[in-house]
Amino acid sequence: MDNKTQPATNREHQSKWTLRNIILIALIAIFTGIIFWGAGFLYTALTVVLTPIGAAPFANDLLMGLWCMAGPLTGFVVRTFGSAFVGEFLGAAVEVFLGGQWGAGAFISGLVQGIGSELGFAFTGYKRYDWVGLNASIFTTVVVTFAWDVIKNGYNKFGIPLLLALFVTRYISTFIFGGVLTKMIVRLLDRSNAFSL
Amino acid sequence: MNPGLKLLLVMAIALEISFTQSLIVNVILIGVSFIYILFNRVTFKALIGLIFWPLFPALGLFVSQWLYGSAGIHFAWILFTRIYAYVFLGATFTLTSSITNLALTLEQDFRLPSKFAYGVLAAFNLMPKINEEVQIIKTSALMRGEALHFWSPKLYFKAILSSIQWSQNLAEAMTSHGFVEDQGRTHYRVIKITRMDWVWFIGLFGIVQVLLFFIRY
Repeated sequence: MDNKTQPATNREHQSKWTLRNIILIALIAIFTGIIFWGAGFLYTALTVVLTPIGAAPFANDLLMGLWCMAGPLTGFVVRTFGSAFVGEFLGAAVEVFLGGQWGAGAFISGLVQGIGSELGFAFTGYKRYDWVGLNASIFTTVVVTFAWDVIKNGYNKFGIPLLLALFVTRYISTFIFGGVLTKMIVRLLDRSNAFSL
Repeated sequence: MNPGLKLLLVMAIALEISFTQSLIVNVILIGVSFIYILFNRVTFKALIGLIFWPLFPALGLFVSQWLYGSAGIHFAWILFTRIYAYVFLGATFTLTSSITNLALTLEQDFRLPSKFAYGVLAAFNLMPKINEEVQIIKTSALMRGEALHFWSPKLYFKAILSSIQWSQNLAEAMTSHGFVEDQGRTHYRVIKITRMDWVWFIGLFGIVQVLLFFIRY
């Protein structure tokens, strides 16, 4: 790979769109897609429990962070413009081809989530690959995906208290999975010098 | 129909019905897609799955909108049918198109750089192996008395390590088969967008516009 020549502590390195990196992003996206696929029953189970009290949208918001993990992960491993977007979009595409329950909706959610997670890295100029950059990505992901659900899932017809509760739920979920979990994974990768492989 | 154009059409319509609110158009889209799928010899099991699984999110949205929404039951029905419209529209694409043809047409007709088309295709073809690898990672952890779940950082860490190794191998294998990045390529299998493809694309898209314009209920 091109960054073999760089020092092992290459926290600052910029990646390029090489064939190898493209395959790497796609593979990570598919791995995460398949891991979530295994947790797919969670969504259905949560929805079944929450539907009778009309709180089913919370299932969506509770799991949002899980669905938005591929973006920050690929964004951190391949540090360049567009990698978070491509990773997140491909992760959603995997669900479509595995036969997910959202059909064409997953493609569009993938686009939206990809834009959300990419924006955060863009705001930090692709320079902050730390807690700050990660939080920027979490923030933009939550805002962009929530705005999309306001349109798509009719959140705009709910009252303010319910909207607020949904937003906070989504933020916490994205913070835990997209933030804390991603941070732990990146730390493991850092300690094993995987970024310089 | 050309798979690239078909994907574009499906996504455009799905995007459009997210912004518009017409119950009848949603139902028409579901019906037409359903008939199209039937003509393409879908298995009975797949069909049942298509109807059964979306029931959960659709019903969930319906009930919450009905109980707490300010727009009444009509809007709840729109959301319910919208979920099914997404699924059946998506199925018209996924049940009839191969990922290989999609990659070929995206490269040849949509000017996607060949390294993206073939790189992503190579990765997607590994999907069964990736599935296996996830099982291997979990099982070998179990042997050491450690259960890995979807919230365990180690599971992702090991998955990424495999990805790094495999991407290196795949890229080298492709290079040794004569794949050169950013170089022009000739094609053994040529996929073109025919005039009929365009007629279908513009025709179907046009019909949806007309329907959405006139049917507001």
